[in-house]
Amino acid sequence: MINVILKFVACSRAAGLRVSSAEVLDCCQQIEHIDIVDESVFRDVLRANFAKSRREQAKFDHLYHLFFHELRSDTSIPHSDALASVMNQLLNDVQENLAGDEAFPAIIDFLSGNPLRYLEEIRKIKTQEIDTSQGINSSFAPLVRRLEIMSQINAISTAIERFMANNRSTISWENRKAMDSHFKDRLENARRMLREDPEEHMDEFAKGTSYEQYMGELGEKSFFSLTRKEIEEMREVIEQLVRKLKDTVQRRYAKQNRGILDIKKTLRTASKYQGIPMELVFKNKPKRKGKIVTLCDVSGSVWSAAKFMLNMLYSLQDCFLQVRSFVFVSEMAEVTGTFEKYEINKAIDKALKEADINYEASTDYGRTFRQFKKEYMEILNKKTTLIIIGDGRTNYTNPEEEILSEIRDKCRRVVWLNPESGIFWYTGDSRMKTYEKYCNQVRHCQNLNQLLDFIKTLVL
Amino acid sequence: MIFKNIEDAKQRLESNGYICSKTVSTVAFLAGETQKPILVEGPAGVGKTELSKAIARSLGRELIRLQCYEGLDEARALYEWEYAKQLLYTQMVKDKIDDVIAGANNLSEAVDKIADQEDAFFSERFIQPRPLLQAISSEEPVVLLIDEVDKSDPEFEAFLLEILSDFQVTIPEIGTKKAVKIPYVILTSNNYRDMSDALKRRCIHLYIDYPDTDLELKIVKSKIPGIDARLAQQVINSIHEIRKLDLKKKPCTSETLDWVQSLISLQVNELSSEIIIDTLNMICKYRSDADLVRQNINEISQNSGLR
Repeated sequence: MINVILKFVACSRAAGLRVSSAEVLDCCQQIEHIDIVDESVFRDVLRANFAKSRREQAKFDHLYHLFFHELRSDTSIPHSDALASVMNQLLNDVQENLAGDEAFPAIIDFLSGNPLRYLEEIRKIKTQEIDTSQGINSSFAPLVRRLEIMSQINAISTAIERFMANNRSTISWENRKAMDSHFKDRLENARRMLREDPEEHMDEFAKGTSYEQYMGELGEKSFFSLTRKEIEEMREVIEQLVRKLKDTVQRRYAKQNRGILDIKKTLRTASKYQGIPMELVFKNKPKRKGKIVTLCDVSGSVWSAAKFMLNMLYSLQDCFLQVRSFVFVSEMAEVTGTFEKYEINKAIDKALKEADINYEASTDYGRTFRQFKKEYMEILNKKTTLIIIGDGRTNYTNPEEEILSEIRDKCRRVVWLNPESGIFWYTGDSRMKTYEKYCNQVRHCQNLNQLLDFIKTLVL
Repeated sequence: MIFKNIEDAKQRLESNGYICSKTVSTVAFLAGETQKPILVEGPAGVGKTELSKAIARSLGRELIRLQCYEGLDEARALYEWEYAKQLLYTQMVKDKIDDVIAGANNLSEAVDKIADQEDAFFSERFIQPRPLLQAISSEEPVVLLIDEVDKSDPEFEAFLLEILSDFQVTIPEIGTKKAVKIPYVILTSNNYRDMSDALKRRCIHLYIDYPDTDLELKIVKSKIPGIDARLAQQVINSIHEIRKLDLKKKPCTSETLDWVQSLISLQVNELSSEIIIDTLNMICKYRSDADLVRQNINEISQNSGLR
């Protein structure tokens, strides 16, 4: 029994489930208390010990089914020594006569009832699939790999048939029949595992394979190349990160809150202890919060970055005194009201589509700055951080950098987030070089991790 | 021996008003056998807290509950020194202190003499036990419920590890206190944040999902015995249809019960789409959710077989 469980654990680990040895010990201990003939109970015990979050449970169920149901065909075979030796002979024969890449020994292992390496191979393909949704060419790589493995399985299948035909005389009829059905089952299993729709494994829960790793990869991905599904996932990630960030902010304040002694309150609590000040009460330092003004270029080239930026800023609203946002293409409009009225994601959609500006126009930074100066200059003060999100591509219009310099003098700092990668900053109509001089900070902000770094410096 | 076997666990929970699936009773049984804490996860309102209450009732043990929240610290969870009491005692025994140091020739001797008596002031007499210490020092075995552990700070979670694995706590002034009787520990979590692996490793994991139709029907019938069988079936069917919608907060088991209760007080004998709309406040707690249900009401009533 223990051996079976250990084998299962090894497979689970190969498939990316984290199982510690302490959990294996616990499980073995618990197995003693139950009637293992009842399968549902047996499964419950394994699941309670090996899959310790909702995410992992789907993965576990799949593995469990694979290991205890699909690979169990071996029990139906009479385990005579003669048969086993013939089977080994066959596998050795196949191994000698055929060559393949690293997947080959894995398939042989799978045929002899050890799915560990095969599972690893399949997992590799899957992570590859997750990696390479960028670009068109590379997404074929996992498919190609599948085909490669498939052709190796087919080769092995023919080799087995040949071996059977050659050794017709030496193997008894019953053994031949048993082996035949045994290998057919296994090969079919291997094929099915390979064929299986990858969608199923990438669903919400099953991507738990290596959740953190996957999220890390998502964080490195450029905003431009996100698929629709990934954008949804991003939202989840952002939510989590925001929650974490809020916690950190609070903790920091909790420590920093200790200001000077609050004499009045201390005396009041001291009266409880006959006038002896047993508990000192400190005055809380008021939290210092900044005002944020964002200026987002929402022309086609940049809006995807602006979207995430706004999402984060507004989720963290309570960390700031005030957030005001403006969107612009060739002219600007304030969208703060939209964010007050609607729920975040809806507001962002609205801001990026329905603000009072012409979205089809070509970007004009100069004109935007002129308008900002005329209408909104008074909202800036020494507590304000101005964040500009844009690629700085002015379409050869007047960049009006003097206005930016004026703006900088009026507020605490100006941060420019550019979603374009650095090498393009000074080419064509990009005026980043001009603007750079007037910003306190210019940041490259192309993916989630970079954005997160920035937000962290902003709130902490 | 806490429960005799899985079947026994199930029956005893049932007789205490908690109807559960086999998975739940298996875990409850094993946790008792192996003295391991259970970490219960699942959406709000599926009966996570209720499970621990039922376990406490069926074992005939006292339930000690620790509600976690952000900023919960040791002083609230474990123990606190009762300064006022210490002070009062010092005042009252002042004369005795004079006696103790009477024979002292100089200050350092006097201090030594008082130091010999120090234990008197840092003894268990002046400790105010909070839930965790209560659970550990109780002479009778208890059920300890650490509710919504995900709301607590990571520091507190780390602090729990000692209790969960060794059933002991360390009080600097007194020393390590081992559990007199090992408590039956249940932690619940709403997945507000992921718990650390160290904590998970020490627990048996149990995920309670929304119950399936049969189970929920059984729950409704046992909690509200007088209900008409047809109405119950209709209610359960429509609740399950509503759960299929993409709601912010899906109606949970306790909301089903509330809904049934209110239908009974409205003297409804048969559910219809109008009645669902009228009583929507019982099941949908967001306006957008209610709107969504209203939009899909025809489909819901059709799929759940209402007229």
